[in-house]
Amino acid sequence: MTQPVANCPNCGAKIVFRWSSSVQTVCEFCKSILVRTDVDLKKVGQVADLPPDSSPIQINAEGKYGNKAFVVVGRILYEYDQGGWNEWHVMMNDGTSAWLSDAQNEYAVSLSAKAQNLPAASQVQVGQQFDWNNQRYTVSVITPAHYRGVEGELPFQYWDKTDVTFVDLRSESRKFATLDYSDPEAALYLGEFVEFDDLKLNNLRSFEGW
Amino acid sequence: MFRKFYLLYGFLVLGTAAFGQYRGWSLATINQLKNVPKSVRDNPGSYRSVYGFYHHYTGGK
Amino acid sequence: MSAGTPPLSGPPKPQAKALNCPKCGAAIVLRSFGQAETVVCASCHSILDAKDPNLAILQQFEIKTSDIKPLIPLGTRGKLRGTDYEVIGFQRRSTQVDGITYYWHEYVLFNPYKGIRYLSEYNGHWNDISICKTLPVADFGGANYLGETYKHFQSAEADTDFVLGEFPWQVRVGEKAAVTDYVHPPRVLSSEKLDKEVTWSIGEYMYGREIWDSFKLPGAPPEPMGVYENQPSPVAVNVNGIWVTFIAFTVFLLALMAGFDMRAKKQPVLHETYLYNRADSKNEASFVTNIFELTGHISTVEVKTYAPVSNHWIYLNYALINQDTGQAWDFGRELSYYYGYDSDGSWSEGKQNDVVVIPSIPSGYYYLRIEPEVDPALPSIPYTVDVTHDVPAFGIYGIAFVALLVPVVIISFRAYTFERSRWSESDHPPMQLTSGSGDDE
Repeated sequence: MTQPVANCPNCGAKIVFRWSSSVQTVCEFCKSILVRTDVDLKKVGQVADLPPDSSPIQINAEGKYGNKAFVVVGRILYEYDQGGWNEWHVMMNDGTSAWLSDAQNEYAVSLSAKAQNLPAASQVQVGQQFDWNNQRYTVSVITPAHYRGVEGELPFQYWDKTDVTFVDLRSESRKFATLDYSDPEAALYLGEFVEFDDLKLNNLRSFEGW
Repeated sequence: MFRKFYLLYGFLVLGTAAFGQYRGWSLATINQLKNVPKSVRDNPGSYRSVYGFYHHYTGGK
Repeated sequence: MSAGTPPLSGPPKPQAKALNCPKCGAAIVLRSFGQAETVVCASCHSILDAKDPNLAILQQFEIKTSDIKPLIPLGTRGKLRGTDYEVIGFQRRSTQVDGITYYWHEYVLFNPYKGIRYLSEYNGHWNDISICKTLPVADFGGANYLGETYKHFQSAEADTDFVLGEFPWQVRVGEKAAVTDYVHPPRVLSSEKLDKEVTWSIGEYMYGREIWDSFKLPGAPPEPMGVYENQPSPVAVNVNGIWVTFIAFTVFLLALMAGFDMRAKKQPVLHETYLYNRADSKNEASFVTNIFELTGHISTVEVKTYAPVSNHWIYLNYALINQDTGQAWDFGRELSYYYGYDSDGSWSEGKQNDVVVIPSIPSGYYYLRIEPEVDPALPSIPYTVDVTHDVPAFGIYGIAFVALLVPVVIISFRAYTFERSRWSESDHPPMQLTSGSGDDE
């Protein structure tokens, strides 16, 4: 797959896009947030230093989900009252994009889904039920979180968000759903919890002494 | 584990019981003697029993 | 991966951090790469904010006894479920039941890829615990989790008395949690409510030996005392299944009985009535019967004796003699029967009939040598002798039945007493079966 190459408009460093559909990336040298237009890259913001975090996943880590291999290309960091978590943006080997979340070493993979009549944030209550893809989901937790930073390639523009509401929905199985209210319109993600061993991850971060 | 042992044990018990029935075993305790001469038929008193004289306590209630 | 990419300057490379306690200056080691919320200074027992680069002091506590040392030292690594975990935290908790305080210990384990697990230890019983990802469903007296039903064992208040190392939550000495345990041995499902938040965890019983091997600890693990709530029964057998096997064996035994009963010829070979006369027997009481033939395979011989004794006795010395081989089977049978009438009513003792089954007689020509002895008070008495060839010996079946029954009874009893021991520690103890408690004054 050809990898588009460009130069950072801020510092001139070489920017490589691993994923052809990436909309946004972060320059590794100057930490500028760059958005892809038809013609070139545009700087839209700056990433502050990311907080130290404990996720063993890093950009360029590789793994498997189902029968597809994937590569980690970007991430969004969130924080809430009980800690933080990472949403790693992964590129599957068929060119589609998915999200691998790591919350205190609990892992889950989810995909963006289209659905009609998603509720507004104020209308959602714990215990409410929805049916998507012939699966019943029940709202379990509503989490006010705030965006902490981005890294690498993302499939949409995402920076300088402040408070974001996430609605977690659980099912009877390992399947779960998330309603993401980063934008006024809800975004739906459907996914499932996975075990670390099943992801067959390699090229992970190394921890001193481990 | 115990189940296997018990199954084996049970079959041994049943096998022994069947074999015993087949060979005519019983619970009675019998004393055996050998070489009883044919002359005992003519003179039963000459037979040397294992038992001495029997002394029985004839108590009532 | 393209060439010439600068090294990723993302978050700092994780290292076990060495910092100093703001209160007393002692070295503080952080082993969880940022996952801990609180860390305890081992020297001054200050609980510090692990997420604060300055380690702000959250609480300080004093310990009442000085010899609370974790059995597994902080920093030790061991393999559980195929993954290495490092002990990063330790706490002692207690609960009070009927005025008695019970202590137990919990260890926080960490792996940078797999996250946090816990070990609990009480009286030498260990459990490998992790937080539930799916929520269990609790109902009356029980809970359901991942297709298994758990029975309510105990609800109690757990107090945190002593802490050491790192914790993934805001631990405080003195914090009280409402803990409810549900068991399905070897697993235990626990719900813990602390400050309005409920956390469910699932534990699996482990033996001290496994812990010692896993963490390569010196010496021997502490001896377990009593039976723990989710301790697997060492009588690890399906008791009901064993009883079913026993029933099957009994049916088999009955079939054997029926089969051999059909095979038995039950052939009468001698039926005679003799008259004992004291006068005639003065010189020699013994006599021999006619010769009879026992045919076929080796088998039993039944000798039935009847005498109409009435407050007397008669004793018969029998010998079954093979005329040709000279082999003799020697035995004696007694008939006595007493009866009367006294203040309690009528009574009787003894029998006028006797049956004996002689074992393993080969075929051949036989006769009986009979020597009677009679109660001196009796001048004469008739008696009948019946000999039958090849009868089933039921005593063998009786022994076989008992032999089949005994192990099943023993194992059932052991399983029963083990479970009684287990539940005696719970909120639902079994009823006391004390006998002789005639305290009804």
